[in-house]
Amino acid sequence: MAEADLALLLAALCCLALRVAGLAVAGALRPDHPFVAWAAAVAQATLAAFVVLAVVAPTGALATLPLLARVAALAAGLIGYVAFGRRLLPALLAGLAVLALLRGVAL
Amino acid sequence: MAATFLAFGATVREAGLPVGWALAATWGVYGMPGQLVLVQHAAASGAAGGVLPAVLGAVAVNARFLPMAVALAPMLAAPHRPRRWSLCGAPFVAITPWAAAMRALPGLAPPGRLPWFLGFGLASWLIAGAAAVAGHAVAGLLDPATRAVLVFANPLYFALLLAADLGRPGVRGAVLAGAAAAPLALLLPAAWGLLAAGIVGGTAAFLLGRKHGQRAQQHG
Repeated sequence: MAEADLALLLAALCCLALRVAGLAVAGALRPDHPFVAWAAAVAQATLAAFVVLAVVAPTGALATLPLLARVAALAAGLIGYVAFGRRLLPALLAGLAVLALLRGVAL
Repeated sequence: MAATFLAFGATVREAGLPVGWALAATWGVYGMPGQLVLVQHAAASGAAGGVLPAVLGAVAVNARFLPMAVALAPMLAAPHRPRRWSLCGAPFVAITPWAAAMRALPGLAPPGRLPWFLGFGLASWLIAGAAAVAGHAVAGLLDPATRAVLVFANPLYFALLLAADLGRPGVRGAVLAGAAAAPLALLLPAAWGLLAAGIVGGTAAFLLGRKHGQRAQQHG
């Protein structure tokens, strides 16, 4: 079994275990229990770190896009999010449009 | 939601993995942040491979399934039905069905809540799979630069969600701490960097939040 397949299988089983555990222990463990709060904080922080790295120091295909284009796309997405009344899809498209326009600019 | 799975399909193709992998990740993990961590590790394997950091990173970034399930469980229970039936809903504890359920279920009679969640969850799950397959197919028709733009859709989408979360005091700390800890990932071996940044940032935010909460209680 290839590494990517094994990682996928194990991650899927662990994610299912998290979900089943959450449904099973509810009642014994309140939503504001410290362990539950810690798990939520780690998930949120990991996601934030993932996003920062994807914009600032990506690997793979994203690394072929200029840094300025990635940062400008993020800025356009955030501005779009505010401008379009906190709607995600138009903001996402605005960011990607800026990225598509700037991707050829060699910086 | 479908747009993020479309972009995920493109990302999987970019990583050189088959369409079956995209579908298996979508249906097996069914949590986009974890899927993205997995595909990133798979793309980097060789240079920064290893199964363990990929699995731990994917589970850490999807760890919110635990609090989400804890919050959802009381709503799926119904009188005269064994609680273990609620476990059937486990595969669908993911952000889209969960957020819809937290809004809709309080308005339904308890016996109808679990069937509603299973129906909504299954429909979302099938749509996500179809979108991932379509994304994988579409990516094959695009030139590499356009594909890279599509791959950026997911980080951008989550950046927008996190920016929206900055307005929520309980969540703000974890977002900022995770972003601040991101440089750790550049110092550590690539495979372990994201996991370390998430655990350090999340734990710091959790401890600071508790301290702040205790102080607020003392003053309150």
